[in-house]
Amino acid sequence: MTGMRMAVLRGGVASLALLASLGAAAAAGDLVIAVPASNEPATLDGQIDPYQSTWLINSLITDPLVIMAPDGTFIPGLATEWSVSPDGMTWTFTLREGITFHDGEPFNAEAVKANLERVLAPETASAQLASDIGPIASIEIDGATGLTIKYDTPWVTLLDALRRAPLWSPKALASAAPGDMAATLIGTGPFKFVNWVQNDNITLEKWDAYSGLTAISKAPGPVSLDTVTLRFIGEAAVMGQVLATGEVNMVYTLPPLFSDQYLGNSDYTLISKGQAGTGLSMVMNIRKPPLNDIRVRQALLYSKDSAAANDILYDGLYQPSDGPLNNIHACFWEGATTIYQTDPVKAAALLDEAGWVMGPDGMRIAEGVEGVEDGAPLTIRWSTLHHQEIGEVFQAQMKPVGIDLQVAVVPGPVQLDMVTRRDFDLMYLRQRSPSPLILDQVWNSKWDQPGGWSWTGFKDDALDAKLNQLRSVFDADERCEVARDAQKIIMENALMMPTLSQPIIIGLDAAVKGFEIGAEGNWFFLHNTSIEE
Amino acid sequence: MGRYVLGRLFQLVPVLILISLIVFAVMHLLPGDPALLMLAGAEGGAITPERLNELREQMGLNDPLAVQYMNFVFNAVQGDLGSSIRFQVPVTELILDRFGSTMELAVAGLVVAIAIGMPLGMIAAARKGGWIDTLCMTLSYVGSSMPVYWLGLLLVLLFSFTLGWFPSAGGGSFQALVLPAVTLGLLSAGVLARLIRSSMLEVATEDYMRTARAKGLPPRLIILRHGLKNAMIPVLTMMGLQFGALLAGTVVTETVFSRPGLGRLIVNAILAKDYPLVQGSILFLAVVYLLVNLAVDIAYGWLDPRIRYGH
Repeated sequence: MTGMRMAVLRGGVASLALLASLGAAAAAGDLVIAVPASNEPATLDGQIDPYQSTWLINSLITDPLVIMAPDGTFIPGLATEWSVSPDGMTWTFTLREGITFHDGEPFNAEAVKANLERVLAPETASAQLASDIGPIASIEIDGATGLTIKYDTPWVTLLDALRRAPLWSPKALASAAPGDMAATLIGTGPFKFVNWVQNDNITLEKWDAYSGLTAISKAPGPVSLDTVTLRFIGEAAVMGQVLATGEVNMVYTLPPLFSDQYLGNSDYTLISKGQAGTGLSMVMNIRKPPLNDIRVRQALLYSKDSAAANDILYDGLYQPSDGPLNNIHACFWEGATTIYQTDPVKAAALLDEAGWVMGPDGMRIAEGVEGVEDGAPLTIRWSTLHHQEIGEVFQAQMKPVGIDLQVAVVPGPVQLDMVTRRDFDLMYLRQRSPSPLILDQVWNSKWDQPGGWSWTGFKDDALDAKLNQLRSVFDADERCEVARDAQKIIMENALMMPTLSQPIIIGLDAAVKGFEIGAEGNWFFLHNTSIEE
Repeated sequence: MGRYVLGRLFQLVPVLILISLIVFAVMHLLPGDPALLMLAGAEGGAITPERLNELREQMGLNDPLAVQYMNFVFNAVQGDLGSSIRFQVPVTELILDRFGSTMELAVAGLVVAIAIGMPLGMIAAARKGGWIDTLCMTLSYVGSSMPVYWLGLLLVLLFSFTLGWFPSAGGGSFQALVLPAVTLGLLSAGVLARLIRSSMLEVATEDYMRTARAKGLPPRLIILRHGLKNAMIPVLTMMGLQFGALLAGTVVTETVFSRPGLGRLIVNAILAKDYPLVQGSILFLAVVYLLVNLAVDIAYGWLDPRIRYGH
C-alpha cells in the first residue's frame, strides 16, 4: 500500500475514533443510567404495570403521597401528615398545598381520589397496585387538603402501596389516548417525561417549576440535573464495562463480578445495598416423595454450604440468606443461621434413617420408602430462573452425601406452569420487600391456589394463625416478633432452602454527587443529585 | 411480468395462513399463562383466582381457541393485528416502530456480507489452487463458523472497551451500527464467498469466456464484464435466502448490542406469552421475507435477458 493511502487510512480511522468518543460523552447535568433490559417497563404507567422498575421511574416524574426514606421510615411526600384509626380501617391524610402537576392542574384531594379510583377501576386492569391498595370501601375529601380512606377490614400496608402509587394529572388521564405515555405521564415530580424508545432508552428532562417541598429534597425548587436518560442494556458483559467506557455515568445494577475494576478507583463510586426480602430461595414441594419426608428435607439443608458457594462463585460479594427472610431483613429470625449448619455426616444419617441407603454407584437409592419403588434413585430437581451456578455448587456438595441434585434453568412461563401443576421438587422464589407480609404470601396455606404464591403444600394452623396476624398488627416491632415465630415454624419443618442474597451494586462516575439509594436496594432518589464539571 | 408478479402475490396467501396457524398453535402449546405472567412479574402480592380470571377475561383468553384464532385472522386481513397483551398498544404500531431498526441492521449486514464475501470469492476464483485461494477460503470458513453471540462480544471487547472506537450498546447512529452489522454480516460473507468462488469457476469454463481470453481482453475485464454477471444468478438466490438468515440473526445481535428492534421484541413477547404480538410480528416478517424473495426472482429477469416471466 502506498504512503498516501496509508495516511488516508490512518486519518479515516482517527476520525472514526474521535466521532465515537464524542458520541460517548454526556454534557454536564445530564445523567445517563445503564439499566438492565429486563427492567424495562411494559407500559410505564405504574397504575397498570406490576413492575418495581415502573414505579421507580414513575417516582422521578411524579411525587407520591408518602416516601420510604433511605432509612426505611415513611416521610412526607405530597401528604404532610397521616394517621390510622386503632382498628386499622380508617386512614386520614393531610395533603400539601401549593402543588401543581406539570400541566398546571392543581394537586388536591380530588386529584388523589380520582387517581385511586382509577387504580381500582376494573377497566384499568391494574395488575398489582389495586391489590396492594386493597378493598377501599370509601374515599372522602375535606376541602383541598383533607383525604380519608376507609376500609371494611384492617389494612396495615396502605403506606407501602401509596409510596409506589403514581399520581397523574386527572385532566391528562381524562384526555390521553390509551398507551400514549407522553400524554398520560403528567405528574408533580422533578422530571418531565420526554420520550421512550422501547428497548433502547427513556428520556426525562428537568421541570423548572418543581416545588422541591417533599421531605426527600434537601432544598426547595427544581433539581440540579438537566436530563436523565435510562439506557436499557441487554448484555451483562456490556453492563459491566459501559461505565468504564464513559458511555454512561451510572450503572444500575453492576454485575458483581465486574466490580473489581471499579473498586479502589477514585474515578468511580460503588454503592452496594442488600435487598430485604426472601433472598434467592428454593421452595420445597412436600406433597410427594422424596420431599414429603422431613428427614430428607433436613438432609438437604445439612448438605449445603452457602458461604462456600458465595466464596467460589461471587468472591464473597453476595450476602447471606439463612432463612425465609434474608439476614438483612429487619424481621430476620436469628435462629435460622444456626438451625441447619453444614453437617454432611448428619445429613447422611438422616437419609439412612429415612430409608435412602447408599447405592453401589455412590448415590442413594430407596429401600423401604413408602410410595417409592425399592432401588429408585434419590433425585431432586432444582428448577430456577437464573443463578443456576448456585445449584451447581450445591450439586457438587451434595454428591458425597449421595444426593443427585439435577439443576435446570426454566423460563418464567415454564416456572409458573410447573408451580401451577405443583410439578416440581425445589423451585426458585424471590420476593423483595422490607415488609414481613411477604411471609404471608408465600407460606399461608390459604394462598395455595392457582395464581397464589404458596407452593409448598404445607398446611399448619399455628403457622397460618401467625401469618394472618401479620396483616393486623400495627406496631412494627410486634409485627417482626410474629414474623420471627412464623420463620421458626417454617425452618423447623424444613419447608425451604435458603441460598444467598443478591446485593444491588450501583456504579457511579465520581463526578455524580448527591445520589441516594433507597431503603430497598432497588430504589433510588435523584432529587439532590448533581454532576460536577 | 405483471401476471407473474400477481400470481406470486396470490401464492403468499396460503403460505401466510399456514404460518399463522403454526405460530398460533405453537404459542398456545407452550406452557405459561400470559395473565399469570403479568401478575407474577410484580414479585409481591398474592394473586387471587378472581383477579387472574378477570385479567384473562379482559385479555380475551377465556374464549375458545378457534374463536381466538378466527378473531385474529379476521382482524389481520383488515390490517389489524390486535393489541399487545403486555404493552396494551396496537401490535402494528409496535412492529412499525421497530422494523426500521431491524431492516437497517439486516441491510447493513447484507452490505457487509457482499463487501467482504464478493471480493473474497472473486479473488479465490482468480487465484484458484494457490495460497491466496486457500487463505480466502479459510477466512470464509472461519467467518461462517463463529457463533454470532460470541463474535459480537469479541468485537465489543476489542473495539468498544479496549479501543473505544464504537459504542457498545444502543442504536440511532452510524457508529452504533458498525459492530452489529459486522457481527451479522460475517457469517453470510463466508457463505457468499464460497458460492461466488464456485460459481465463477463454473462460468470460467464457458465458451464465451474462452473466446474473451482468446481475444486478448484484460483478465479484470473478462471477470467483471463477462464472468461476474452470469455467475451472479445462483448468488442472487443465495442472497435472498441469506436475507432471511440475517433477519433471524438480528434477534441475537440486537440482544448483544442492546439495539431496539423486532428481534428483541419477538423474544420478549414469546417469554411474556404475548400472543398477538408474537403472531403479528412473525406474520409480518414472513411477508417481508417472501416479498424479498419475490424481488430476487424478478431480478433474474434483469440480470439474464434469457429469463422472461409470463411468456
